[in-house]
Formats: sequence, C-alpha cells, structure tokens
Amino acid sequence: MPTIQARGLTKRFGADVLAVDHLDFDAIPGGVTGFLGPNGAGKTTTLRMVLGLVTPTSGTVLVDGLRYRDLPHPTNRVGASLEASGFHPARTARNHLKIIATMAGLPFSRVEECLDLVGLSEVGDRKVGGFSLGMRQRLELARSLLGKPDILVLDEPANGLDPQGIAWLRDFLRFYATEKAPSAGDGRIVIVSSHLLSEAQLIVDDVIVLNAGRLAAQGRLSDLLAGTKRSVRVRTPDADRLVQALRAANLPAVMQDGYVVCEGVTPEQVGPVMVENRIEVHEMESSTESLESLFFSLTGGESAQPGPTAPMGDYRRFNDGPAAPSAPPPAVVSAAPSPAAGPATDGSAAGSATAGPAAGSAAAGSEAPPAPSPAAGPRPGGGQT
Amino acid sequence: MTRLLRAESRKLWTIWSSYVIFLIVVLIDLLFGFLVAFAPGGRHRGTAGLVPHGSTQWFVNVFSVLDNSRLLALVLGVLVITGEYRHKTVTPTFLAEPRRGRVVTAKLGVSFGAGLLLGVVTMLTGLVIGFVLVAVGVHSCLSLAGVSQGMSQATCAGQGVLHHYYVANTHDMWHEWSQIAPGVILGTGLFAVYGLGLGALLKNQIVAIVVGLGFTLVVESIIVAVWPTIGKYLPGQAATALENAARTSFSASSTPLLSWWEGAIILVIYGVVLSYLGTVTTLRSDIT
Repeated sequence: MPTIQARGLTKRFGADVLAVDHLDFDAIPGGVTGFLGPNGAGKTTTLRMVLGLVTPTSGTVLVDGLRYRDLPHPTNRVGASLEASGFHPARTARNHLKIIATMAGLPFSRVEECLDLVGLSEVGDRKVGGFSLGMRQRLELARSLLGKPDILVLDEPANGLDPQGIAWLRDFLRFYATEKAPSAGDGRIVIVSSHLLSEAQLIVDDVIVLNAGRLAAQGRLSDLLAGTKRSVRVRTPDADRLVQALRAANLPAVMQDGYVVCEGVTPEQVGPVMVENRIEVHEMESSTESLESLFFSLTGGESAQPGPTAPMGDYRRFNDGPAAPSAPPPAVVSAAPSPAAGPATDGSAAGSATAGPAAGSAAAGSEAPPAPSPAAGPRPGGGQT
Repeated sequence: MTRLLRAESRKLWTIWSSYVIFLIVVLIDLLFGFLVAFAPGGRHRGTAGLVPHGSTQWFVNVFSVLDNSRLLALVLGVLVITGEYRHKTVTPTFLAEPRRGRVVTAKLGVSFGAGLLLGVVTMLTGLVIGFVLVAVGVHSCLSLAGVSQGMSQATCAGQGVLHHYYVANTHDMWHEWSQIAPGVILGTGLFAVYGLGLGALLKNQIVAIVVGLGFTLVVESIIVAVWPTIGKYLPGQAATALENAARTSFSASSTPLLSWWEGAIILVIYGVVLSYLGTVTTLRSDIT
C-alpha cells in the first residue's frame, strides 16, 4: 500500500525565510488529496521535498517508508509533475517521454499508451517549444504516468487546460485514485495542489491545508465542511409569519434579500416549523460552507509572509488618481468620477481619457498617489466568512 | 548505468544543437585548414612564411589546426549538463534518477563518447583536406606557381612520372595524418569531459562556456608564456602534448610539454575532479 509520511518537515531558505515549519502529514490512499494553501504557504517546497528535489533543513518525509532518493524504481512508484516546464524546446514530445522511459527501463509501448491517454499521439513528433500550456500540462501528466505509479503528485495540473480538459482530468484522477490495482490495495495516493478552490472542491476527497509553512487542517473534506456553518434559506409569501414562528421555536431567523435565512440550523429543524404553521413555501435551500470560505477561515485570508504574498490592494480606488495628468480633454475632466462613483464608472472614464485602459493603468501605477493601505479595503472573499 | 547511458545519449541526439556543433566543427576545420594551407605569409606555431606546397611541413601545419575542434568539444560537454538546468529538464531527470552522482557519471561517459566522435569527424575532415592538398601539390608541380614556391620543374621531373610524385605526396600526407589522428581524437574526447566538469561546477550555461573558452584561449596562453613549467599542466597544453605524442616531424614547439600519457591523465583528472566537485557542491543544491 502506498504511503507518504512527513514528520517535523522543515525547510529554511537562507536566514529569513522559513518556507515549511515542522509539518506533519500523512497522505491517504484511495482518494484525491487536495494540497491547498495561499501563495507562499510552502506547497511547492513541500512537494519538492517529498520528491527529493529539495533537501529538508530538518525532519523527514518518507515515500513507502523510504526517502525518495532511496526508492529502487522511483518512476514505477511515484509519478510527479511539478510545473508545465522542464522540456527542451527543440525536443519532440515523444522523444521527451522516451528518454524518461529509457531511464526507468520501461518499454516504448508505454510511451505510446501515455501519449494516447492524454491525446497527444498526433502531435507527438512535434517540438515541445511549439506547445501551448495546456499541451505541456498533458505531456507532464503523460510523463508522470509512464511507470504506472501508485503515487501521483501533481502541482497545479489544471493550469492551462480547457474546460473539457479539466473535466477529463477530474474524472481521470478520481478513477486513478480509486482503481484497485494489485500493487495498491485500497487504492492509490493522488495529491493535487491547486489554487482554484471551486475546482478543487469538485475533485478532492481529502485536504491538506497549509498556511505560512504550517499545517492548517487535514482530513476528509466532507468532515471539515460538516463542522462548519450551515444555513437554510426559504422563499415564502408568508415571510413575517415564518420568522415569528421560527423565533418562537428558538431558531435564529432573519430577513435577507426577500429570503428568510436561518444560520446554523438544518432543514430538518426548519421543516416541521413550516408544516406546523401551514406556511406556503416556494423555495427552500440548504447550504454548507464552501471549500473557499473554509479555506479563508483556516488561513485567515492572508499569509504571514511579507512581500509578494501580502494582501492585495483595494482595486476600487485603483483608478482614482489622475490617469493622464498631461492634457486630459475637458469633457472627460468634467465627467471625472466623484469619489463616490462606482468602479464601473472609474474604469470607463480612465479608458476614454487615455489611449487605452493599459496606458491608463500604467500611468496610474507610476504617477498616482501612493496606493491605499491594504488594510483599508476588505479582502477578496473575506466578506463571505 | 546502461539505461542511464542510453538515456543520456538519447538526450544528446534528440536536439539539433548537438548536430550544429558537429557542423560547426567541420566548417571550422575546412576554413582553418585551407586558410593555413594557402594564406600568404600564414604562420603557425613558429613556422614563418610560405611553406612549399606538397612538402611535409605543409601537411604538418595544416593538420595542426585541427585541434581547434577541442574547443567545440568543451562547449558540447558544457551543454550536456547546463542545458538540463537551462531548460529545467533537470527536474524530470532527477525524478527518474534521484541519485544525482549516477546521472553525472552517465553524462561523463556520453560526453567522452561524443567528444571522441567529434575528434573522428575532425580527422575525417582533415583527411579530405589532405587529399585536396595532395591534388594541389601535383597541380603546383605542373605549373609555374610551383617554381615560385620552391619546387623546381626539375624536382618534379626528378620524381620520374607524375604518378610517382602523387604516391609519394599521398604517403607523406597519410603518414602525418596517422601520427596526429589518435592524439587529436583522444584529446577532443577528453576536452568534452573537461567541459562537462566545468558545466557541473558552474551550472550556468553562458558562464561555463565563457569561462571554459576564455581560460583555454586567453588565461592559459598567458600562463604558458609566463610560467611554462606550470603551464604544461593546464588542459590545453596537456591536450597538445597528447596530440604531438607520435609526431616525429613536429619540432616547432618552444614550450615544454608533458609526455602523451601524462597529458591524457591530467585531462582525465580535470574532467573527473571538476565533475566530482560539481556533484558534491552545485548539483547537491535544491532544484526549485
């Protein structure tokens, strides 16, 4: 049975950057595991330590009980794709795979099978330099699968794929993880890192959430979501009566956008109240928290790391500054947005005042007054939690 | 290791830049060979002025420029390892073979083989040049140009029939070629190993090529001129020692050289020691 075990895994880059900090986790076979975290959380560094490309500062990570570099046949045990790079642009896709197959002692028929699977056999003799990002992703997947590995580690595999490609990948990963291969017993380990949470929610069964190099959560996604807030929304012509009835039954109820909303209760609690009071219902909806809101609550919506992972600025005030201070046409000046104007107005005004939106943004970036403090504006998604 | 050697060889022969290096070698050999043969006032290795067409010294001078191929062998060796870092193919390579020292060892073997092949191609090009020169020599003998270049009609006539002259000239050329060929081929092969070592240590493609060529062409010449006793241990001089090993007619060298086997050992040491240092330092670092 395939295993990945990290114990006290730590990686420090230089004196200042603690990329991964005493991380413990176990990958669970038989399902797809999402490896999630904000930018700079240490996802890629951790995966590279699993694969022996980066040496941990301290701690261990073992694959099948061994360090990656001690695996006798790594290609047959672990398939990994880390980024859609790592191709010589002048080499053909087929030759790229043949080289890895040669290193692993695999027959070239396997190269053809994998090219077929990802739909690249037709273009296999074309140079990778001419491939789109999506084609490179498929080629990376084909390379990972060469040795029929029981452990699959994919970093952002959906990047660059078209919607059909993403749907295919989703189905494929589910199939691959749950297939009862003789070597895998209960199924395979499939670890997928992703920053597209809505996409990940559709694929993953388990999650490992990192934040600032530490483990923020690990477990079944359904368990994690079950422990979070759920709510029931009801649309009814008798809204006032329903609110009163619910409150009488000690259930929290408020009116929101024409709906009666009950936070933290189940439909099983709301239903009897409606039947008892003979309230006509037009629509009823139960919702659990999404992976996205779970993610924000786990990671605080921000990263502890400074620099590029600091919260982003407030885009609603981005174009407030003088976009083209040199000679703006009078008509545009008079139509310039007041501070209260909405973002749409801002965008169109800046667009018409200058040669184009790009020129407007560039001017704003270099000549506008200092950007508003990140703390001033709500973080994207922060309002949903 | 057999798998790794085959994979590395496949890596080399599935990109066009390797073929370009072979093409450049052939072109450079042809260019310099004929330039030395026919350039008026051309000088090479202390031999000044015109050398009579068809003389042994003529062939000695022409074949002596073939060793420039080892510079391209050095570049080839550098590319074998730095190309992996440049195009990030090092990630799939080390995923498939995480024991990095074994990868470098395979690259060492493949570089040596490719370098030897480069040497063979060089010497075959040299042979083509040689036959052209024989033909030119025969032509010179029949023309007034031959007289002006030190050969009298009587000399030619003294050989008896023209055929005789042709045979003798071919024999001289072949003799000279066969004396220099083993040294050039082995030296070119070992220079590719030296290049691989440089690449393993420096990792950056451009830096490794500039350092390799700059050291061989500039720094080494200065050291050889100033401290010849130290200079003879440097890679370029070691390769020259190897090249001149069997040459009886070559005496123009004014600087001290090692014996051929010492030169070969020194070159192997450069390549292997640099590769080893690269493996335990540069290549051990994280692939991010």
